[in-house]
Amino acid sequence: MINLRYREKGTVIHRLNPFCKLAWVVSVFVLALVLDNPLFLFLLFLSTLPLVLTAKVWSEWTSFMKFAVYICLAIIVINALVSYRGEHVLAVAPFSIPVMGTPTITLEAILFGIAMSIRLLAIISAFAIITLTVNPDDMMLSMIRMKLPYKSVLVTSLSTRFFPTLIDDVERISDVQRTRCLELDKGRLPQRIKRSMSVIIPLLSNSLDRTVQVAEAMESRAFGSGTKRTFYRDIRTSRIDIVTLILALSPCALGILMLILGYGDYQYYPTLGGMNLSGLEWAMLPILALLVSSVVPLAFLKRRVDLD
Amino acid sequence: MIKIRDLTFYYGDASRPALQDVNLDIEDGEFVLVTGPSGCGKTSLCRCLNGLIPHFYGGEIAGGLEVQGLDVMRHTTREMATRVGMVFQDPENQLVSMDVQREVAFGLENLAFPRDVMAKRVEESLDTLEISGLRHRQVHELSGGEKQKVVISSVLALHPDILVLDEPTSELDPKGAEDVLSIVRRLNDELGITVILVEHRLDRVVHLVDRMIVMDKGKIIADGNPRAVLSNGDITSIGAGVPPIVRIVQRLRDNGVNVDNIPLTVKEGRAMLKDIFMGARGSTLSHTESADNGRPVIEIDKLWHAYPEGITALKNVNLRICEGEFVAVMGRNASGKTTLVKHINGLLKPTKGKVIVSGIDTRRATIAQLSRKVGFIFQNPNDHIFADTVEEEIAFILKNLGFDSGEIAARIDEMLEMFALKEFRKRYPRSLSGGERQRVAMASVLVARPRVLILDEPTRGMDYRLKSELMRFLNGYREKGNTVVLVTHDVETVAEHADRVVLLSEGGVVVDGNKRDVLSRALFFSPQINRLVQAFEKYGVPNNILTVDEALDILK
Repeated sequence: MINLRYREKGTVIHRLNPFCKLAWVVSVFVLALVLDNPLFLFLLFLSTLPLVLTAKVWSEWTSFMKFAVYICLAIIVINALVSYRGEHVLAVAPFSIPVMGTPTITLEAILFGIAMSIRLLAIISAFAIITLTVNPDDMMLSMIRMKLPYKSVLVTSLSTRFFPTLIDDVERISDVQRTRCLELDKGRLPQRIKRSMSVIIPLLSNSLDRTVQVAEAMESRAFGSGTKRTFYRDIRTSRIDIVTLILALSPCALGILMLILGYGDYQYYPTLGGMNLSGLEWAMLPILALLVSSVVPLAFLKRRVDLD
Repeated sequence: MIKIRDLTFYYGDASRPALQDVNLDIEDGEFVLVTGPSGCGKTSLCRCLNGLIPHFYGGEIAGGLEVQGLDVMRHTTREMATRVGMVFQDPENQLVSMDVQREVAFGLENLAFPRDVMAKRVEESLDTLEISGLRHRQVHELSGGEKQKVVISSVLALHPDILVLDEPTSELDPKGAEDVLSIVRRLNDELGITVILVEHRLDRVVHLVDRMIVMDKGKIIADGNPRAVLSNGDITSIGAGVPPIVRIVQRLRDNGVNVDNIPLTVKEGRAMLKDIFMGARGSTLSHTESADNGRPVIEIDKLWHAYPEGITALKNVNLRICEGEFVAVMGRNASGKTTLVKHINGLLKPTKGKVIVSGIDTRRATIAQLSRKVGFIFQNPNDHIFADTVEEEIAFILKNLGFDSGEIAARIDEMLEMFALKEFRKRYPRSLSGGERQRVAMASVLVARPRVLILDEPTRGMDYRLKSELMRFLNGYREKGNTVVLVTHDVETVAEHADRVVLLSEGGVVVDGNKRDVLSRALFFSPQINRLVQAFEKYGVPNNILTVDEALDILK
């Protein structure tokens, strides 16, 4: 079961300004897209780990990543099956498919699939860290500060709020229907779908009732009054936060620079390019890793500064 | 100050009025209890007070409605928010933020209070409810009682003059309910806030209030001092849940015994009824015959259960239940009650130990196989209901079990007859009233003719009339030699109807015995009548009397 619930753990990463964390995710995302070299991508993935450890969200993060690994396996298999470019042929099918040609599994296609997976893992890891360490209410506030309309942000935050409730509902209603001999894993598909209605219909009707009640309760606490609303908590951005923000964005700038200079490129097809990196590129590797994980020491520094 | 004049209201498509010719004046600082059977209009009355009717729930409205000098017809709910605070039944559906302190600030944010004022008000409201320790907690981690306190606190932050609470305790366990009610009382006593409280468990609140209003079919049928209102025996007949201690006095008066006043608490009852009980004959009640010599139908042997998350919910439970027994399973929240009964129909399988039902080991049987032996009724009938017609709803389990259509039709007819649902055969079950839906849910389980029926807190949120209807049915079912296992917090119901009580704590059985032994002479777990007669033991009154009928028998 994927565990996505935010928990207040009070670590330095949890306390970090949400804008810094958002900037950091943007950086990881941009780097993952501009870099092609599997070595760089793998390093990028590794650089997200210090945050996971510092934030003490290891078990939640692994439950998340387990799911991601399944997706990656699927990517590798599908890519190997449909991409016939590449010169090192490992297997050839005894038949051919019109338009696509003869199915061929090549070493290059498998390695390309693996590199794509590492790219995906780095992105998912970064998003997992954000979901697990940014208080959803803070996330909502950051969105509003970035000038997104309040009502759309509120709807998003309400769905996060009611997600656990919905899971409870599903479990409870499934229990009820199982006691009435509902066996979802038996029979043919149309029957199964028909029978699963016995869970879906009560779930939807209950949620509909719930929606009216939530609206009623919000209305009773003056929701939607004409005046521009204020916010109880504010995201205070101190000087150290701005430094962190800049550092969190720096890998992004570096990535764009590398894209222009052509560093981090890699050739997969038709034959794999070698790992003959220039001296500058070798130097880029540790710099990149350091910049991506630099938010960790800064988060500790922030706590020191806050205490003073 | 609330002034209601000849108020009549019809919901959008309703043919009968939800409120009819209501006239009501409530002074500042009053503590008013509103009660009546479900569907009597008490919720609609609450909705009028802050303008949810007519602004949120449309319909046809006539009459005058003035709250704190504002005409509600012309002021929206939002404008009323700083005058009337509303707390609803289910706290789960009133909380919109992830953490507690932002929830408390929600209303203030909506009204654009400056941040320093907000900080002060949030602090005050958290302190008033004594929940400042929860301020950084996530809402989904809180217990029901804690959630409801957060709701009250967030309403209070707007400094309303009037607090309206619509059955605020019906989703809570007794401890949570007690906490919430004592806080409401304090808000009225110490802050002078006008309180309007809807509640059908009268024994919890009737001694706290200044005034009691009883409604039925959209009309106010009684209004006044609680003692005066309760002196009127008709209240019982409309289905309000009159406390046992009041019922005994009403019945004594019917029998021509003169009792000057109506007691509202056990303490008052002991003082007022002392002379009457002094003349009682001294005999000990015999135990109702126990069904212990029947054949065992449920055998639970050294049962342990651990959930995958690592919580051990049951620790070495041994239990033998015989045919024809009516067993109540009681205990605090999270004491393992639900986990235990879910083992009886195979929804959960033992981690260690075994459960045998009618000779079948549940580890080796599917839920479907067990469903013909054990029926399970959950608390909320809305979780049961999904079909287009009542008939199909009842047929569902039989179709899953592969019955032929002739048998299905015959059994449906039998169920429709038994639960008085004939006229609803082709109706859409969700359009039925709460009580009717409960009957459909029961029929849809009992149609498989199980010999054991398990009910998980079925009476939560039920009014007195529905509760007695359910209990009448369960007694009838039991008399046919079937077994009933009832999970409940409701001591009074257990005292009246069960014959054996199993008390769980921390996943183990603490007490298991005849209800007379378990429920009498206890402090918290005794029914009101037992707490009353404990004082009269010295006059030879048996100390194991549990119900009004038994007490009256002694006095004959």
